[in-house]
Amino acid sequence: MASRDVVQYKSPLVVAFKIFSVIFLTVYLIWTLLPIFVMFVSSFKDLLEAFNIPEVGDWAGVTVFFDFTPTLKHYHSLFYDNNFGEYMANSLIAAGGSAVIAVTFGSMAAYSLSRVEFRGKGDLFFWIISTRMAPVVAVMVPLYAIFRSFDLIGTLPGLILAYTTFNLPFAIWILKGFFDNVPYSIEEAQMVDGATRFQAFMSILPLVAPGIAAFIVLCILFAWNDFLFAAIIGSGGAKTLPVATRELVQPQNIQWGAIMAAGVVTTLPMMLLGLVIRKYLVTGMTMGAVKE
Amino acid sequence: MARISINKVWKYYGTSPAVRELNLECDDGSFVSILGPSGCGKSSTMRMIAGLEHISAGDILFDGQRINDLPPKDRDVAMVFENYALYPHKSVFDNIANPLRLRGFAADKIKERVTSATKLLEIDHLLNRRPSELSGGQKQRVAIGRAIVREPKLFLFDEPIAHLDAKLRAHMRGEIKHLQRSLGTTMIYVTHDQLEALSMADMIAVMHDGELQQWGTPSEIFNRPVNAWVAGFVGEPAMNFLSAELRSEGGNTVLTHPNFNIPLLPQQVALVNGSAKREVRMGVRPDALSISTTRPDGPVIEGRIYVTELLGGDMLVDVQLADARIRVKTSTDFTGVADDACYMTVNRDKWHLFDIEDGHAYF
Ligand SMILES: Nc1ncnc2c1ncn2[C@@H]1O[C@H](COP(=O)(O)OP(=O)(O)OP(=O)(O)O)[C@@H](O)[C@H]1O
Ligand SMILES: [Mg+2]
Repeated sequence: MASRDVVQYKSPLVVAFKIFSVIFLTVYLIWTLLPIFVMFVSSFKDLLEAFNIPEVGDWAGVTVFFDFTPTLKHYHSLFYDNNFGEYMANSLIAAGGSAVIAVTFGSMAAYSLSRVEFRGKGDLFFWIISTRMAPVVAVMVPLYAIFRSFDLIGTLPGLILAYTTFNLPFAIWILKGFFDNVPYSIEEAQMVDGATRFQAFMSILPLVAPGIAAFIVLCILFAWNDFLFAAIIGSGGAKTLPVATRELVQPQNIQWGAIMAAGVVTTLPMMLLGLVIRKYLVTGMTMGAVKE
Repeated sequence: MARISINKVWKYYGTSPAVRELNLECDDGSFVSILGPSGCGKSSTMRMIAGLEHISAGDILFDGQRINDLPPKDRDVAMVFENYALYPHKSVFDNIANPLRLRGFAADKIKERVTSATKLLEIDHLLNRRPSELSGGQKQRVAIGRAIVREPKLFLFDEPIAHLDAKLRAHMRGEIKHLQRSLGTTMIYVTHDQLEALSMADMIAVMHDGELQQWGTPSEIFNRPVNAWVAGFVGEPAMNFLSAELRSEGGNTVLTHPNFNIPLLPQQVALVNGSAKREVRMGVRPDALSISTTRPDGPVIEGRIYVTELLGGDMLVDVQLADARIRVKTSTDFTGVADDACYMTVNRDKWHLFDIEDGHAYF
């Protein structure tokens, strides 16, 4: 078995490329992180301090960004005056619920599509992914009509169902690829060892963990950041963070401080999720199981 | 422990048959080897017995009970897969413990069984490794370990030691045979290595192109092959084949060839049905010939030494005849060198005649 240490040789080209990549990454980091930084810092500032911005070209004036007395009043107004605790719970339930449902059914469907031969399999698979080819807005009106006749508008189950409708095909699509890469003989060995078909399926789930992890991240991100479904199907009873944040913008009064704080509250959980799940995203667990 | 009957079993992949009307009877507690070249349907047969492959036609019975429709877990077999099929995310210990865990054994019992199996296979120092951290031979031994921790009705070993080095292979041959004897469990052992089959099995099924060629004990397979294909496949160095002609000469039936004229033994004449003049194929193993540089009495094969090879305790001599080259096994004190004329006598109890057309053996 090859070890994971990559042999590297130093040539002028390699060195030049290294220097270039360091410069490129630095610029890229500043470009992507600066807005988040401004949001984060502003959420702890009084409004007057937040709008204290140096002139363009005045590099020494950068220090005014850091010159402020931290305050939690925006967070306070968010959770006490604007009820963000409830909206956050709604977001968590909608995103988590749809991820769990989509991953449960998606992995079983993907497993069947990967392992069982049946007539029309190719067409079925194409049909499943084709549901993701139309933009969400295109189906919004019929979806709204259907949901309304089932009394699902403005409820969390309705929102979870809506997200699942869109995440499930995606789950099947991603996970089928991962199941395809698991040698069938591992399940055969399990079955000879005394496992049922279902136990054999469960036993190979650790091997598709990277796929499941990747999918959960994408699924939660989709639901967490979604505005369209939340605004239309979840409107009223199942308000989520993006919709609630949008409502902080009122015609006569834009609550900048609260918006910044809401941005932080919306972003942080996703960053934590990314950190937690990172180690499962590494692939390569099936290596060496079966003679190549 | 079980008696395995395979009755008229066929396996089709699509429309092409991989196994054709296979019939086998494996006695309770016997060691049966399925021997054949790559692609002859050995693994397909095993997989049908294990329940991993649909049986296209025919029946498989364990102790007289038809098991065609039982799922693998209810057949109570243990299998060593050709490609190991270890669980990549589990340690060696957990891999071997898996069948016991699935059958609800107690933890201390599991530990005891796994420890003794790994000791036997000399992999007890690897218990905490993952399969990706093992060599091919070590993986293969883990796969064997997983099969032997349990006491199943039937062992199915699909080329279990093909990837070990020669020395370890010889050692494992002994260990597997001993294990099977001491457990008394019926074993079906697939191999393409005739030496393995001959040295380990009680009964051998020789397969070719999905068809059973011969079913017999190792000595039957080796000494009385039913056709030229089996004769050529079994034995190392391989049997020599020569095209020759059967003729009547002065009351005797004689085998003639540009290099020799040798009469058949009386009991053999009866077996070739009729003394009409015709082409046949003569087969003789290298060790059924004796070679000398001086002409002995009696019928001989004359030839010219092409090359000599020293193989440790034996010597192989390649001899050039008019239309072919044959090999002779002799002792190391043979002094002939290349291009010498030489004379060979045939041990006529050990030669074979095959039909030129369908290759079946007359004797
Ligand atoms: N899943 C399959 N689909 C189609 N054909 C197959 C399949 N499995 C095996 N075959 C064919 O069936 C024949 C027998 O295959 P099998 O695997 O039983 O051979 P084998 O005797 O085990 O060979 P080896 O010694 O190389 O393992 C081969 O010609 C092979 O190409
Ligand atoms: Mg095979």
